[in-house]
Amino acid sequence: MDLPDSLTRRRAMVAGVGSVVAGSGIVYGASTLESDQTVSRTAPVHVSSETTGLGVDLQGHAIMGSLDAPIDMYYWSDYQCPFCRRFERNAFPKLIENHVRSGTVRVVFIEFPYLGSSSMTAAVLDRCVWRQVRNSSPQAYWRWHSTLFEKQERGNSEWISKENLFDIASNIDGIDASAVESCASQHRPDIKQSIARDMDQASQFGIQATPAFVLYNRDADAAGKIIGAQPYERFDEAITRVQNT
Amino acid sequence: MNSPSLERHAERFLAALGFPLTTWTRLVLCVGGAMISYVLLVLSSFPEYSVQMVSANIGYLDDAIVELTANSYATAGPVGLGLIVSYAMLTGIAITNVANRVKRVGVAESGGLSSAVPGFLAAGCASCGAGILGFLGFAGALALLPFHGNLLRVGGLLLLVGYLARVGDPRYCTVVPDSGVEQ
Repeated sequence: MDLPDSLTRRRAMVAGVGSVVAGSGIVYGASTLESDQTVSRTAPVHVSSETTGLGVDLQGHAIMGSLDAPIDMYYWSDYQCPFCRRFERNAFPKLIENHVRSGTVRVVFIEFPYLGSSSMTAAVLDRCVWRQVRNSSPQAYWRWHSTLFEKQERGNSEWISKENLFDIASNIDGIDASAVESCASQHRPDIKQSIARDMDQASQFGIQATPAFVLYNRDADAAGKIIGAQPYERFDEAITRVQNT
Repeated sequence: MNSPSLERHAERFLAALGFPLTTWTRLVLCVGGAMISYVLLVLSSFPEYSVQMVSANIGYLDDAIVELTANSYATAGPVGLGLIVSYAMLTGIAITNVANRVKRVGVAESGGLSSAVPGFLAAGCASCGAGILGFLGFAGALALLPFHGNLLRVGGLLLLVGYLARVGDPRYCTVVPDSGVEQ
């Protein structure tokens, strides 16, 4: 094979330098994505047994915000989903600050464990944690939920093993880890069925991946869908639109 | 495949890789093709998100690219992201190669096109992420695939490598001793 001439070498160098510059730009952009905000912002967590006009059964799900808030935000997530973690760190604190605490929006946490068997393990424990804390210390649910996203690592690795999840639960104020453990061993089949029903319903809303959200104005019976960890401004616009319908 | 044949394919593959460097126009076409391929691949990893972001404001396009690059890295790891980048680069080279063949001999006479188009489609689908599978009704399918879909991505990449090894540098015909001339 002929050796490349100097012009070809120059073009190769330009292509190489261009690739490095473009790659560096994307890597730099990605490194600036995570907000410095932590998920420490919170609002009161409540229990409800109603079924909303959209057909979502609130029984079994933690609800953050005033139960009288006019807008429901159904939030489907998977504890192994890195994009959900992105939402939790970036848009969610601002949503809590500006819309949940003000009484406009209530957030309904729904599990959508689609990233492997460990996701289902975490989802079952999530339901058990909620069962255990909902009457005595519902705010402990938020501590559990946000801690799991803070501790998220690579998918289906040691961090999401049953043992490690119990360990995390035992270190959170208000959670009785042994009660959670016994709930998981006794009720796992029932809870899995209930989660499967939630996932079927999410599929009917056209949801296939997480994080996914449906904003629902209960009085006007109007809804809108947001998919993925979009910027806070997109949620803000969607809330305003659903509120004004 | 015997050793001389393998050697011939390797030489043609290297010739195909070097072809975009032969003129500035080809280099620009190759880089443009690679960039567009990368953007399409990354956006297709979460299509509904991409559509919502871009249709809301085209200014969100760069956000979506960066966000989904980070997401691809987090879900498929450095190997998965490296495979997507490699696929995009090879696609840029293949586009330049095909464009030159079409320019020289026309669409009807360009035998390589018949293998290029299915190759692009198969490799593109193999390189896609959880989003497009979810979009097609296979939510979670990628998590069940070996090495989080990276094996599938390698398969897609091999298809493109095979295509380039077959066509080589489109400016030249290859003389095969036993069977005469092959395009």
